[in-house]
Amino acid sequence: METVPERISVQTSVLNANQQTAAANRELFAGEGVLVMNLMSAPGAGMTTLLEATIRSLRGQFRVAVIEGDLQTDLDAQRIQALGVRAYQITTGTVCHLDARMVARALDAFPVSDLDLLVIENVGNLICPASFDLGESLRVVVCSVAEGPEKPKKYPVMFNKANVVLINKIDLAEASGVDLQELTENVRNVNPHATIFPLSSRTGEGMAAWTSWLQQAVKVRASAAMAGA
Amino acid sequence: MHEISIAESIVEIAEAKAREQDARSIQVIKLRLGTFTTIVPDALQFAFEICRQGTLARDARLDIEIVPMVVRCVVCEASTKPVHDVCLICEHCGFPLEIVSGEELQIEYIEVDSNEEVSPWKQYQKEFPSRPVC
Repeated sequence: METVPERISVQTSVLNANQQTAAANRELFAGEGVLVMNLMSAPGAGMTTLLEATIRSLRGQFRVAVIEGDLQTDLDAQRIQALGVRAYQITTGTVCHLDARMVARALDAFPVSDLDLLVIENVGNLICPASFDLGESLRVVVCSVAEGPEKPKKYPVMFNKANVVLINKIDLAEASGVDLQELTENVRNVNPHATIFPLSSRTGEGMAAWTSWLQQAVKVRASAAMAGA
Repeated sequence: MHEISIAESIVEIAEAKAREQDARSIQVIKLRLGTFTTIVPDALQFAFEICRQGTLARDARLDIEIVPMVVRCVVCEASTKPVHDVCLICEHCGFPLEIVSGEELQIEYIEVDSNEEVSPWKQYQKEFPSRPVC
């Protein structure tokens, strides 16, 4: 049997399917006027504690909900629900990141029509989530001083794609022997445009600057949606 | 190991294109992969070998072209290729650098064996052109 080898042009991004689903998610969020934040960090950066502190400061002013991504357990969703905030847990099994399809499926069971802010707490990982757009408006990366000053150098793609970088646990800078200035500079070097907030979710230092920035973003988003409607 | 998700997408896209063209099997998948992605070529090859099983790409070779990261200053237009440390602040003038290339993750083309089998009946017709075609 004769066969004819043939070259077929494809010219398609490998992440095309994810990008299409992310675009659909983004359109849905825009229609609802909800600000969506994709929160990412390495395991142990204090992402959930920081999220709890952020939610506490927004409570009463905005309608907030959280989608949690973890390999196993719904412990994080329980922590958020304990604050009286709606939370939905995605357990990925062995998958090291959330993708747009997982979020789209979660949205079927978890309506966002009555929200001002939706936080998607990604799987703790500074590598894989960088590649997968979820349809968010803001990409927020948390790193803690306790991880050392070189995280941005080691994971430049993740830090490069962040809109906001939260440098957590600044109360531990001295104990960790980390120069906050050096860490901030390393973030700046891989991402000259990111807004950076040094803070400590445990002591509350620096939290006000971050939360008032976020409140402003939620308000702008809501009024933009009203103007468009 | 997000290379598995990436490899799955590669096989899906290549298979869809091959089916569209009525191809019998895929021989080569040509991928452009930037160095400023989070994808490791060796891990991707390994994941691809798993994901191609039972598909039209089961015998395919994944041909990865590495695209180096190139950055350019938005102000003084100095262009450089970062080797190790990625720093997106211009060493000449201190303004931000933009990424010109290095973020690629794209399938360029596939090479397929097309389905144009020469059926015995057509062969027969060729040999005996005078035979009436029904």
